[in-house]
Amino acid sequence: MNQSVRLGVIGVVFLSALALLTLRLWTMQVTEVHAYEDKALANQSRIVFTPAPRGDVYDRNGVKLAGTRSALAVVVDLALVTSSDRDLLAQNLSAFLDTPAASVKESFESDSQGGLVTIAKDLTDAQATFILEHREQFPGVNIIPQPIRTYPLGEIGSHVIGYIGRPNEEDLQREDVKGTDVVGKAGVERSYDAMLRGTEGVIEYQVDAKRKVLSLASEEAPSAGGSLTLTIDSELQAQLQASLKDGLVQARREEMAEREAAIADKSIAARLAEALAAAQAERRAQDAAATSDSTDQTTAQAGTEDDDVALPDEPVTVDPAEVLASLYPGLPIDSDGVCVPVQRIDIPVGQTGLLSGREPRFARVDSVADDGGELVATISIGLDRYTVGVNDSFAGTVQVLALSESRVALYHRDAWCPIRSVGVVTDPNDGSVLAMASYPAFDPAVFVDGLSDDQWAELGTASAFQNFAIQGVYAPASTFKAVPYVLALEENYYPLDRNLGDKEITDGADGEPNSPPPLLRDTDEYLCSGEFKFPLSDGSIQTKRDWRWPRGHGPLDLHGALQASCDLYFWDLALRLWQERRDESGIDKENLLQEYARSFGFGEVTGIDLPFERSGLMPDAAWFREEQRNKTGRVRPEGPWVGGDLMDIAVGQGATLVTPLQLANGFAAMVNGGTVWTPRVVQEVRDADGNVIATFDPIVDHTVQMRPSTSEKLLVDLQQVVNNEERGTARVAFRDFGRGRELVGGKTGTGEVIKAPRSDAYRQADNAWFVGVAPISNPQWIVTVVVERGGSGGKIAAPIARQILQYLMNGPEGVTELAPGLDAD
Amino acid sequence: MARTLSDRVPVFLDRDSPLKPDLVLVLTYLAVTAIGLLMVYSATAPGLEARGIDPTRELKTQAIFVVIGFIVFGVVSSIDLTEIKGLVGPIYAVSIFLLLLVLTPLGDSEGQAQRWVDLGLVQFQPSEVAKIAVVLMLASILAAATVPLSWRVVARSIAFVGLPAVLIFRQPDLGTMLVFGFVLIVMLFVSGATLRQLGFLAIASIVLTVGLFQLNLIKQYQIDRLTGFIDPDAHSLSLSYNQTQSEIAIGSGGLLGKGLFEGSQTNLQFVPVQSSDFIFTAVGEQFGFVGSVIVLGLFGVMLFRLLMIARVARSRFSFLTVSGIAAMLGFHVFVNVGMTIRVMPVTGLPLPFMSSGGTVFVAMSAALGLAHAAWIRRNMTIAD
Repeated sequence: MNQSVRLGVIGVVFLSALALLTLRLWTMQVTEVHAYEDKALANQSRIVFTPAPRGDVYDRNGVKLAGTRSALAVVVDLALVTSSDRDLLAQNLSAFLDTPAASVKESFESDSQGGLVTIAKDLTDAQATFILEHREQFPGVNIIPQPIRTYPLGEIGSHVIGYIGRPNEEDLQREDVKGTDVVGKAGVERSYDAMLRGTEGVIEYQVDAKRKVLSLASEEAPSAGGSLTLTIDSELQAQLQASLKDGLVQARREEMAEREAAIADKSIAARLAEALAAAQAERRAQDAAATSDSTDQTTAQAGTEDDDVALPDEPVTVDPAEVLASLYPGLPIDSDGVCVPVQRIDIPVGQTGLLSGREPRFARVDSVADDGGELVATISIGLDRYTVGVNDSFAGTVQVLALSESRVALYHRDAWCPIRSVGVVTDPNDGSVLAMASYPAFDPAVFVDGLSDDQWAELGTASAFQNFAIQGVYAPASTFKAVPYVLALEENYYPLDRNLGDKEITDGADGEPNSPPPLLRDTDEYLCSGEFKFPLSDGSIQTKRDWRWPRGHGPLDLHGALQASCDLYFWDLALRLWQERRDESGIDKENLLQEYARSFGFGEVTGIDLPFERSGLMPDAAWFREEQRNKTGRVRPEGPWVGGDLMDIAVGQGATLVTPLQLANGFAAMVNGGTVWTPRVVQEVRDADGNVIATFDPIVDHTVQMRPSTSEKLLVDLQQVVNNEERGTARVAFRDFGRGRELVGGKTGTGEVIKAPRSDAYRQADNAWFVGVAPISNPQWIVTVVVERGGSGGKIAAPIARQILQYLMNGPEGVTELAPGLDAD
Repeated sequence: MARTLSDRVPVFLDRDSPLKPDLVLVLTYLAVTAIGLLMVYSATAPGLEARGIDPTRELKTQAIFVVIGFIVFGVVSSIDLTEIKGLVGPIYAVSIFLLLLVLTPLGDSEGQAQRWVDLGLVQFQPSEVAKIAVVLMLASILAAATVPLSWRVVARSIAFVGLPAVLIFRQPDLGTMLVFGFVLIVMLFVSGATLRQLGFLAIASIVLTVGLFQLNLIKQYQIDRLTGFIDPDAHSLSLSYNQTQSEIAIGSGGLLGKGLFEGSQTNLQFVPVQSSDFIFTAVGEQFGFVGSVIVLGLFGVMLFRLLMIARVARSRFSFLTVSGIAAMLGFHVFVNVGMTIRVMPVTGLPLPFMSSGGTVFVAMSAALGLAHAAWIRRNMTIAD
């Protein structure tokens, strides 16, 4: 190979290299030019979004429930801050805003919106002025007006309104949501988010490589979101929330009254009275001294004399928690002097903490040891000893929250303490919700600035953010008896006539001979004694006891059975359905009751315009078989679905679950002649200029064919529950109703949650229910109340509903003091 | 033959001289330089103007170097390479000395590398001189060797390239090291090295590279530059930022370019060090594919002419020197332009005659001058 050839080779190498470059240039500059052009354009422009004011929320009378105000925010444009200046800026901002420099720096790192970082919201004018006057110390800092959500009525209506927050993964799936946006997280804030949000403004700047703004390229102003008008009446809502709160406190006080006998020689009320008397005496002594002091001074300060003299009239209060704390050190008693259902307790190693409960238990932290990198505590409760790590649950009601070498933080559940009250008021004529709440509630404003850990601990453990009117599912208990009641009238189907006075059934379960004939009319009497015996398929005899056992109700017809809430009547009705399930009628009697229930909306979501609604459960034969097959443990492990299950369903127990709204909606349909509404809380949406852009008319989900007389009879009996002085289960609760009591009706219910072991004195924790209807002549309102673990419906729930009905019938001044009603189912 | 001072005028200015300049080479040199000046101006003026500084400042500075470079080109063109041959030893020694100087406190650092010598009035990059010194030294060694080359000669060549390479590696300047490697291979190849010798060289360089990585002698930022080139998304804004912006500038230029002074990437300073290492982006954005290909074409013609000159060179030393210079220039062009369009990693090699920078322009002019000198005296039959 001579020199020329070798040079030629080099030439070829050069040529190929140049060809390669040319090819690549062709691809970039000709084939893919558009992609690069777009990138070059994006390079030059910087887009800043200006948030749109969120639409307002009003109640049905135009009272503002949620609004937006403009606040000044500190926004740092990181593009204008050199990295060397960042530390200094962080220090200046932290000194000025009184926040840790580390958290300011952390915000710098987060840099989410094209270099714009919001460091502080809601400055005072003085703060804003200071920053603007000292710009050189705050490079890149701008003061920008930003909308802030306000909730003028605080907790009132919070479960319906919901709250807003940063979008999560799921929210970000929506096309109109960016990571920096604020979206509705619950309530109408969530379900009507798209209408409330409005369109954000877009400002486009031309920038250079250092992202310095050169000029304004385009600007589009934000447009405010639409405003909602709710069906909620905020004054009624306030009354409902007040009653729910007072009712829960009352339920807890009743619980404490039961406890105090066991643990104190002197009643809590007596102790409180003593403390109050002592405080008053002390106050009088102080005031006397103060008056004599001030008399000396008044010579120099003329004109203040009258004020000083007026002082002694001020009321004297004592903090029950303080007075009672010495009684049960460590026992959580809140400022109302009542139990708290969830307790956080911090116990140092080697010491003892008192767990709340019917009988206080001592928890002793024996030691904390390191078990292979994880801390493990040894804790004794009574004679039992547990070795547990973080998050472990033990002894049924206790969970370890945190562990350190020296202390253990425990979370303890007092299962007997009433935990929550829930209420909803609906209009049976159009399905609109007039008020809806659960207590504990929350102020949606806590989410605007983000929750503090304390707030989260307090509100989160009580599940205060959930709307239990649609998210809570409970056994409806005796309130559900209205469904078999309607079935009986519609189908003309009554229990077997078991010969007054003899409730023991000796015949076979499957309709063997010498089965007695059924009752023929709703007015035929049936003996409601205290207990009910029926044979199981294996020949043994099962006993079911009425809530009034060992007493009974005496002979009652269908109407009396509903008024007195006689369990036996409805059990026997269910048993007849069961026994005749394979007769020749062709009717599926095994599922007939459930079909009735479903037709009134049980077991399915109502479709209300609020998020996270639960469906409840209306168990039928198929469901039982399915659960059996899947071995979920929700039904008895041995044997198939039995008559006892259907009997439980007839009185709203067993696996039956409803939401308070579902129950309200079902009652509405039963009393209005069969119209099942789709409930709603929003009636109208207006745009930013006040023009109506959407109206939500009442929606009929479906209509149940039923005789008008059935609704009429039901109303009469509901009226008797409240008004019948002999057997009405709510008669005591409504005794002091005032004007219009005869126009009020309802049904109580008491749902078993925990049944104490037999060895214990007969005692159980129950959900207290009441569903009220008024006016009976032309129902306008359905008032549904449940107190979780509150006790009996007649005693705990009916008085709460009574206050609401007083408000509705006689106005705010008609509402009388809360007092426990009759302890009746 | 005694010489008078008048003999020293550049030969191509002497109408009577039989020694004619290579017009094609000179014209491409002038054309590339002129485009370079224009590009330096377009890339620096908006930034200077924005800061309230005379927008022609960078242009003026570069123009001074261009004038100096032209003079150096003229002077070197008129030298007889035979005379240079005797000076190879001292030139090589001086350049090694200068490279050592960089590593002393006299050396000046810029960024993470120490590449400059501060001589009071001017700063100066010894590695540019070393490139020429290495070409001349290799030419001198290989010219004296017999063909086929002995392993001994190959070893000597490696040694003489290795010494400045190690010094440059200490700076560190990976780009210049690669230039040395490429020049060595090309010069060994054209001087008649066997395929076996070249193969050995290839294996040796691979072993060396792997060794450098293994011993952690390569700095993290050099690795990052190389990996950033392969996977731009992994180093979003920081490392491959230059290359990304450079690509956007060139790609968005399109077929015909955005027009002079109309490039947004250029005007808004999106491409860092645009006037030096990334000057080609100014061409690509403002003149598009057509302009880019014209510039590449000019370099192509220049390289073609250099290979032609090498072919007709009157001595083996001239032949090797010109080949080496062609290799050096060609490698710069390919690696530099390749870097701006993500065909090559970022190595910091300038684009000859276009990138701003004094030492580079003068040194490249001197190198081109050497090749031109070989052309002018191609017909003088003087035995080596």
